[in-house]
Amino acid sequence: MRKLLMVTLIAVFASAFTTTLERAQADNLKSFSVYTDSKSPDNHYAASGWMGDFGDIKMNDQALENPHSGSTSIEFSYSAKKSQGQGWAGVYWQNPANNWGSKKGGFDLTGMTKLAFWARGAKGGEIIQKFVVGGIKGDYSDSAAAEFGPVELTDTWKEYTINLAGRDLSYISGGFGWVTTADLNPDGCVFYIDDIKFSVDQDMKPEGKKQQDMPFYVYSDKSSVSNHFVASGWMGDYGDIKYEGSSTEDPYLGDTCIKVVYTAKGAQGARWGGIYWQNPANNWGSIDAGFDLSKATKFTFWARGAKGGERIEEFKIGGIMGEFSDSDTAGIGPVVLTKDWQQYSIDLKGKDLSFIIGGFCWATNADVNPDGVIFYLDEIKYE
Amino acid sequence: MKSNTNNTAAGTAGGNKTGIAGRGASFPAACGILLACLFLLCGMSAKPSVKVAICTLKNGDYQLLVCGKPYVVKGVCYNPVPIGQGSDYAWWQDTHKPWLTDGRMMKEMGVNTIRLYEPADDAAEVKAVMNDLYKLYNIRVIMGNWLGFWEYPGPFYGDQDFRDKVKEKVLDMVRTYKDEPGILFWLLGNENNYSFSGQINPWSTDEIDKEPDPVKQRAMRARIYYTFVNELAQEIHKIDPGHPVALGNGELVGLECAANYCPDVDLLGCIIYRGKTFGNLFNSLKATFDKPVVLTEFGADSYDSYRNREDQDMQAFFLESQWRQIYQNLAGRREGTGNCLGGVMFEWTDEWWKNNPNSPATWTVHDTQPRWSNGSYYFDIKAKDSLNMNEEWFGIVALSPDEEGSGLDLRIPRKAYYVVREFWKRPRNNREIQKEPVEKNTAGSGLKGMPIKDLIKQCPLEDGKK
Repeated sequence: MRKLLMVTLIAVFASAFTTTLERAQADNLKSFSVYTDSKSPDNHYAASGWMGDFGDIKMNDQALENPHSGSTSIEFSYSAKKSQGQGWAGVYWQNPANNWGSKKGGFDLTGMTKLAFWARGAKGGEIIQKFVVGGIKGDYSDSAAAEFGPVELTDTWKEYTINLAGRDLSYISGGFGWVTTADLNPDGCVFYIDDIKFSVDQDMKPEGKKQQDMPFYVYSDKSSVSNHFVASGWMGDYGDIKYEGSSTEDPYLGDTCIKVVYTAKGAQGARWGGIYWQNPANNWGSIDAGFDLSKATKFTFWARGAKGGERIEEFKIGGIMGEFSDSDTAGIGPVVLTKDWQQYSIDLKGKDLSFIIGGFCWATNADVNPDGVIFYLDEIKYE
Repeated sequence: MKSNTNNTAAGTAGGNKTGIAGRGASFPAACGILLACLFLLCGMSAKPSVKVAICTLKNGDYQLLVCGKPYVVKGVCYNPVPIGQGSDYAWWQDTHKPWLTDGRMMKEMGVNTIRLYEPADDAAEVKAVMNDLYKLYNIRVIMGNWLGFWEYPGPFYGDQDFRDKVKEKVLDMVRTYKDEPGILFWLLGNENNYSFSGQINPWSTDEIDKEPDPVKQRAMRARIYYTFVNELAQEIHKIDPGHPVALGNGELVGLECAANYCPDVDLLGCIIYRGKTFGNLFNSLKATFDKPVVLTEFGADSYDSYRNREDQDMQAFFLESQWRQIYQNLAGRREGTGNCLGGVMFEWTDEWWKNNPNSPATWTVHDTQPRWSNGSYYFDIKAKDSLNMNEEWFGIVALSPDEEGSGLDLRIPRKAYYVVREFWKRPRNNREIQKEPVEKNTAGSGLKGMPIKDLIKQCPLEDGKK
């Protein structure tokens, strides 16, 4: 009898699960909600996947003030205090909650061609590095990954769309997400999201990776929306590195520059250190992202040392190797910095820049800088 | 790799486009020398000296010709050290002749070439191995030389005595083996260019030491080294016009300098470990060092350091993907650059000594401790400290202890053996044989205009038996 009950329960559960999957891909289903309103039965994902400096995030999923529709929206407060030392943070909407690809869940969303959502900032000017769909990796990986951004929010509700036409949406456990960084929002930010849903839009067409127009910045100025890569790839003795993306110590252009301190103390025993600027943050080639920078013919940046004589073994672009490797790489070095700002250039002619996730990188070591170095970078861009 | 170094060089394809001594000046000249000598000698001897040449097709692609027939290098690095033995094991003297077992398996797989890093001192032993492999299995040899890279206290390429010593050794090798029918080409150096940074096998000169700019120091080392290799290539061509000379190079590092100082080598032998793709390597070569290329080391290990288990699927996946790219860039393939002549996988059998070369007690243990990291082999990159490359697990063929007393470790083909074998039988989306005619002007000699079929007639050797 017990056995029969178990079989029955399993059958009922399996039936419910199958029904959910089938519902999503039914021909007559024109939309599929991620979040509609607090406690709505149409919410299919949970905002459970807090990432990076998760201690910097506060969420109120029943914000009553000025929702886009219904009675609530979701309010996020990001303090940018780097509670976990990451410099970035984000939230994934997952199914089931807290599923980082370790268990079967998600939905078959085949037939959907876009994800649309509404967002606004508390003040306007808040920068979200990117909004994402899918991309969760694990034993049960999402079948697609798409993203949109960076986005500078306004203080009024605005609809944003992520094109999913032509994507394999047969298994999506990470229905939606956002990521932003302390560099982009040094003082933190408060923003609201509402009415997140997949839908069928016959006008959406598959898009290839867009060739980016030049100049294309890695770093322009603190909080600039044109900063396209994140200084997230700390290498070697990462404990020897201090990074400040909003230094006001004599920037070359604009209000700020980047200040890097490398102490050469060998915190991890590697005797070298370096940073990759990546897209998205921490992408060591595991995510199909990055940019098509084929229009670039050179890469330039400005650099200076605190004293002059600081030796950087290599500056380079590209070169990240993984499942989705950079399509090429180019570099210069060793470079001995001067006390005054100097512009450096990397020739990109003949390079395949169709897929670049490692926008920029520096590396040096303790052998050539036994006492460590302090140096500054500014106006880092593809031209 | 062969020397148990930890250089991955992943992602360091380097160099900016520079002006080069173009193919029209250098490569045809070398090809012309080879073909001219063939012309001169073929009337004097039934066994012409020229059997291997590289020619330019009408569309600008490069093609390796062996006895006048297109030849795709389908190779493996070969160093069959048995379980329990170390790097100095004289396998050439092994009375059980492992190369006979290996040669048979290689032939069944489709291997037509092995790479030997450097011949042993006893030429008779080496010739016996070469002859067995060639006559029994039609397997040719890429014969290498380290160019003194591992000499203690360092490879002083700026020192005349050192250069003379290395040169004599290289030229002696060429004189000794040039008439062996199995020789395919000479390969000078391996990853010696990594010493240009001054941090790997460092060497210098007074002039370099006086230069404060590290970029100029690197360029000075490159000029000295590549000029030396070029001298060797010139000398080899005088002694042996019948076989091409390759420059061994780790990744593309330094090749923008080689374009200026190394015009007389005939091709590039590139050591490269970039996972499932070679990236923009073939295009980059066109822009920096426009020579044909054989990938003289590439491959994948078969041990998953993250899950701590052998993973033959992983190795097979990478190798098939790599071969697909090689074939896409052979002469005449629409989708490629036409400058690839083939590849040499690292390696035929596992080598159980490599993780602890100085600890004989460990040579009977198949060590699973990874030694270096390479993110492009991404299946196990989540291993501790991202160390995912297992030096003792690169074999296409696994070894198992000889428990039956046969004198040879048991050879167990891994999945990659079968996957690559099937790929070679039916290269997907590729034509196996280049149909375009050789650009006749390439020869620039008395052979100008000579049809390929006549070149073939000059070489009625083993290839005709197939």
